[in-house]
Amino acid sequence: MGARVIFVCTVVASLAVTSAGARPVATPGVSANEIKLGSSVPLSGEAAIAGNVARGIEAYFKYVNDTQGGVFGRKITFTYLDDGYDPGRAVNNTIRLIQQEQVLAVFSSLGTSNNLAVRKLLNDSKVPQLYVSSGATTFGRDYKKYPWTIGYIPPYSEEGELYGRYVVKNIKKAKIAVLYQNDDYGRDLLAGLKRGLGSKTKSIVASVGYDPTSADVQPQVTQLKAAKANVLMVFAFGKFSLQAFNAVSRLGWKPQIFVNDVSSASALMAIVPQKAANGSISIVFGKDPALPLWRNDKGIRLFQSILKKYGSSINSRDLQDGYFTAGMATAYTMVDTLTKAGKNLTRQSVMNAATHLNEKNNPFVLPGIVIHTTPSSRFPLTQVRLQRWSNNSWHPFGKLISAKP
Amino acid sequence: MRAKLWLELTGFALLTLIVAALPRFVSDFRARELAIVGMYFIALLGLSILTGYSGQISLGHGAFMAIGGYTTAILSVDGIYGHQIRDLWTIPIAGVIAGLAGLLVGVPALRLSGLYLALITFGIAVSFPQLPKKFDHFLGGTTGKILNLAEPPYGLHTTTNNWIYYLTWGIALVLLLAAWLLVRGKAGRALQAIRDSEVAAASSGISLARYKTLAFGISAFYAGVAGSLYAIANAYVNPDVFPIILSVYLVVGLAVGGLDSLVGLIAGAGLIYFLQNHADTVARWINHVPALNLDPKQPGIPSMVFGVVLIVVMLLLPTGAGGLMRRVFGPLTSRLYTRS
Repeated sequence: MGARVIFVCTVVASLAVTSAGARPVATPGVSANEIKLGSSVPLSGEAAIAGNVARGIEAYFKYVNDTQGGVFGRKITFTYLDDGYDPGRAVNNTIRLIQQEQVLAVFSSLGTSNNLAVRKLLNDSKVPQLYVSSGATTFGRDYKKYPWTIGYIPPYSEEGELYGRYVVKNIKKAKIAVLYQNDDYGRDLLAGLKRGLGSKTKSIVASVGYDPTSADVQPQVTQLKAAKANVLMVFAFGKFSLQAFNAVSRLGWKPQIFVNDVSSASALMAIVPQKAANGSISIVFGKDPALPLWRNDKGIRLFQSILKKYGSSINSRDLQDGYFTAGMATAYTMVDTLTKAGKNLTRQSVMNAATHLNEKNNPFVLPGIVIHTTPSSRFPLTQVRLQRWSNNSWHPFGKLISAKP
Repeated sequence: MRAKLWLELTGFALLTLIVAALPRFVSDFRARELAIVGMYFIALLGLSILTGYSGQISLGHGAFMAIGGYTTAILSVDGIYGHQIRDLWTIPIAGVIAGLAGLLVGVPALRLSGLYLALITFGIAVSFPQLPKKFDHFLGGTTGKILNLAEPPYGLHTTTNNWIYYLTWGIALVLLLAAWLLVRGKAGRALQAIRDSEVAAASSGISLARYKTLAFGISAFYAGVAGSLYAIANAYVNPDVFPIILSVYLVVGLAVGGLDSLVGLIAGAGLIYFLQNHADTVARWINHVPALNLDPKQPGIPSMVFGVVLIVVMLLLPTGAGGLMRRVFGPLTSRLYTRS
């Protein structure tokens, strides 16, 4: 009896497996009056706040649709989906964007792993993976293998290299301690730093990694202080960077601190002990709406007026939030790309335009920065300035320098 | 008793028919979504055998899914001695390896119960993601492993999504049947006896050690198969693909499905997928309530929606979907029993 039941059920189940049907193939999202773009970003989980990048993008596209009638009469529809910073969900979202929403291109998805997870999928289906929101070098470098992918922000390794070169040039008898996140991001920065130091690599007296899931980095900072260093590199993300500043202050240590770009938000710097924060150095390429420096800047004023009018559920804090500006900077480049791609819009023409950028007037990045790409140089944003923290604000100094790999 | 058996078999046949026909009525992408629901369902079946039937709580089943996923990734990308294995054949291997890991965990679990066991298994969920980082040459570190994109086997003309759907649900139905046979047989009765009273079970001659470890092993096997399918569907694994919260979601799915209702678990699986990926839709429904205006695109709102819906569901259905089904079909089945 039992055996027969199993047999019958197994047959039925396997029939179910083999009775599969065919479905139509997706078409790219361009019509006479619409262009569809999509993105996967965290709106829940630990990195949820970075999802504001997509909200900035959305507001800017609405502004372009409203004031310029879109691009060549086509209004831009931007769909962004929550992935909770989980690459598995990012894959699912990306497939949904291609197949269900039928987007022309996936644009500004956030996170290194999340973009790595979908790169092959997008390249195999020949869907542009544009202006990846990650500083991993691979997105700009490996274009031969992945011709449909292009990065946006300066690679982490180059950022590390700039700090290294700065130390060699400006700090005599430097003894460097490095606190780094023990993953690709932290290690990229550390490797770049070593390259920038060149023959002075030995001036790194201690480097300690921490795990992204650990609770506190105070033990690591204590360990670094014991190495009697006078320079501290904080290659840490979010709360860890905050803890590092706290620990430095508590230990009464007074090193020259360098803090990496992704942790240098004014909002974060303002809440750490100023005793430790003052004098810290970082890089900058976007205009930070929180800085008094840009209060009367045309770009930032435009940013705030767009966000107020076209953003959804915007509060006064959002008007000072650099994630929104970063989103608008990318959206500006995207509109530029679509314009350049011409009236006859295809995935190929978008990709051509994205690899022939020469954008000199992006209002949301530092004056003078040219967003430039060629088919063999796929790092759109490679100029930065250094900035120093004092009086509760960042102060850019020096000329624009190249962070081109 | 016979009437109940035939009723259950008819139900299973009906479920099979629905599963077979469903892709014809939904879009290609929905088929993929339903496939992922199927993967959660498989993991929940395993968890139900462990928690629902043998009464052992696990907060670490995400880790067993990860073991399955990584097994598939390693075998299909790196292969054995450089010989890559087709993703399809890695599924049973992934299940077995996760199952062995489950047996290992089952041994210390013998000495612990309730809250303490939950803590141990939670420890596994927390510590597992560190392994790929520690052994990054072998397991790919945070960069993860990129698998070949899933494709229907040669000769089968269908889309990738449909293929993953039929593969997942085919396996799910077979495993559902296996779970059903297990829980209605001798082993199932032993497990339930252990759940209800360990002392009574032991004094009736049931080997606690054997059945408790067995439950862990079988349960982990199910999770491993689910993890393997998840890796195939996403063509990518890294520690963040199996986050700690996944283990918690599985327990949530189990509670919503009904602890010891196998078919009800489909509802639990559906809910954990739906709330993760369609929180914006739910937020739009909630906005029909006057004076409420949630912006689903605001960071943090999706998590809030998840929490609120969960509270409401558990208030309305304290015994889960399984309990609801029993309440609806109960009068009917009890009549059948009395007749036979």
